[in-house]
Amino acid sequence: MRLVIRQALLLSFKDTRLFFKDRFAMGFALLFPILFIVAFSLALGDLGPEDEQLRMAVATEEESGFSREVIDLLTIADATGVDEWDPKDAGLALHEGRIPGYLLFPVGFTQRIFNGEGAEIWVITADGDPETEAVLGGLARSIGGRIGTLSLAVRGVTELEGLGSLDLVKLGQLGAAPPSIVFTTEQVGEVEPFNASNFTLPGYLTMFLFFAAALGAEAIARERQTQTLERLLSNGVRRSAIVAGKMLASLYRGLLQLAFLWALGIFAFSIDFGVSPVAVIAISVFMAVASSAFGVMLASLVRTVKSASSAAVLASLTLAPLGGCWWPLFITPDWMQALGRLTPHGWANDAFNKLMLFGAEGQDVLVHMAALLLFAAVFLTVAVARFRTVSAN
Amino acid sequence: MAHMEAFLAATGLTKSFDSVQVVDSVSFTVRSQEIFGLLGPNGAGKTTTIRMLSTVLDPDDGDVNIGGHSVAKESDAVRRLIGVCPQELALYPELSATDNLVFFGRMAGLSGSQAKESAADVLERVGLTDRAKDAVRKYSGGMKRRVNIAIALMSRPQMLFLDEPTVGIDPQSRNHIFDTVLALRDEGMTVLYTTHYMEEADRLCDRIGIMDEGHIIALGTPAELKAQVGDADTTTLEEVFLSLTGRSLRD
Ligand SMILES: Nc1ncnc2c1ncn2[C@@H]1O[C@H](COP(=O)(O)OP(=O)(O)O)[C@@H](O)[C@H]1O
Ligand SMILES: [Mg+2]
Repeated sequence: MRLVIRQALLLSFKDTRLFFKDRFAMGFALLFPILFIVAFSLALGDLGPEDEQLRMAVATEEESGFSREVIDLLTIADATGVDEWDPKDAGLALHEGRIPGYLLFPVGFTQRIFNGEGAEIWVITADGDPETEAVLGGLARSIGGRIGTLSLAVRGVTELEGLGSLDLVKLGQLGAAPPSIVFTTEQVGEVEPFNASNFTLPGYLTMFLFFAAALGAEAIARERQTQTLERLLSNGVRRSAIVAGKMLASLYRGLLQLAFLWALGIFAFSIDFGVSPVAVIAISVFMAVASSAFGVMLASLVRTVKSASSAAVLASLTLAPLGGCWWPLFITPDWMQALGRLTPHGWANDAFNKLMLFGAEGQDVLVHMAALLLFAAVFLTVAVARFRTVSAN
Repeated sequence: MAHMEAFLAATGLTKSFDSVQVVDSVSFTVRSQEIFGLLGPNGAGKTTTIRMLSTVLDPDDGDVNIGGHSVAKESDAVRRLIGVCPQELALYPELSATDNLVFFGRMAGLSGSQAKESAADVLERVGLTDRAKDAVRKYSGGMKRRVNIAIALMSRPQMLFLDEPTVGIDPQSRNHIFDTVLALRDEGMTVLYTTHYMEEADRLCDRIGIMDEGHIIALGTPAELKAQVGDADTTTLEEVFLSLTGRSLRD
């Protein structure tokens, strides 16, 4: 056993040295995925933290009054995502396309409320932009709902005390229980701030983790062809040590890929690991284990270097879309989701989506981890059973 | 000079792939400290035979004994006695000669320092000490072949298997390899050497088994083989092969 471990480790270190000397393999494992992630993050949505939140513009034509108070409240914290604009600037900004739309409190807004007339808040958007209209409309309705109760209370107080101007703090001091104003913005459709990288990065990470490991079969097939595996066997190296060493080397490369791509995700794409970062990392490590086992299995099944590369490319490019690397499985029909379950990619991606998009916790993806390990076990069993050291040259 | 007792004895070795008999009841002995040649055209079954002798491939039938150990039952003991130089360049071109040697030496069970020491020795032996630090990829064909042999010498084996060690190299490197093999024999090593170059077998080997289509069709010293056909001084092994098979060795 100790002999096998020593041999496997020596073999895996040698392979790792060769990997660092192989510019193509390194580029494929590390740089290629970046190209894809950048391209598809750009195509799918906004990049970077600056644009993460949808900002809403509000403006009032009143010098003081109700609208003033509402806007102060709305803009008190940055997190509400509301900016105050000068009405003229807002109009211009909309015209120039700098903002998609804005809410406007027109002149006389406060007066109309005091008079008990229907006050209006205008939702101003570009033509044919129903999404912005829906968002701003939601905000307007929310404000309107609060002001309805507020105005009643305020009117009562004003009549009692003859208050000239509105002052919510004074209202509180008067004990007239000011209605708590909590503004919630309604989510309509896809308007939630969405960082596309939270989907694209794990997807392509999964794809390239698997792809690079599958292509590792090529190197094993080449070693069979050049008879280095034979040479090792006649030196007393165990078959199991060769399989383990090859898989270990592939796993190191996978872990390097993971570290690199996750770091890239965090620092360049501001991806969000969700509530359980440990689970995200664990899923990716298990995916690396399953992928390296697949690579060794592939090497056992093919005869030549050429068939190893073709099989690796074919398997990687088929399993990636089936397993939800290119588009989320949760938007696909049931039968496709079922098909995805037959791939390690499907389990990994489903877990990533749950953890990184839908706020799942570690325990929600335990079954995914088990599935990935099961894949690894099956691949490895086939690899050991069918591992050939001799090729017909 | 060769001793009479057998260092290697193969009896009834048989192997088929996809129901084609590639090696068929092959029996021969290699005496201690001789260079035994397996001469035969491509596809004769030489490599398959070496694989079975060197514990890499299990024969369908037959047995091999090397240095008093059964290949089937005591493969680890056999592995400690032998060094194998495969037909292909069984090395990592991106690594230097030293790194290749040290890697294979350690895989064969040497410690790091033993492997380094042995690497320096064998590099000297094959005349590559100057280029030891260069990636093997940058070597000439002949130099690569010499590294290929050097790796087989790393664990100081008692018996060396050389599978077509001179394929496609310049005459100078070929002569260098001949000299190395002869020197190893003179120092007490037993050598099994396969080739499809008859001049090579003629010049180098103490005894030769001529192999064709999985069979050993003739066996003896070069002079004995030639005498079967005509005058030992003027006949070539090529003519021996032709008379035995009706075909030329070159085909
Ligand atoms: N692993 C294998 N699988 C199938 N056929 C093989 C294998 N190894 C060798 N052969 C076939 O066996 C025959 C003998 O091959 P080999 O022993 O390499 O001959 P030689 O070394 O004399 O050229 C060839 O026809 C070869 O194609
Ligand atoms: Mg051969």
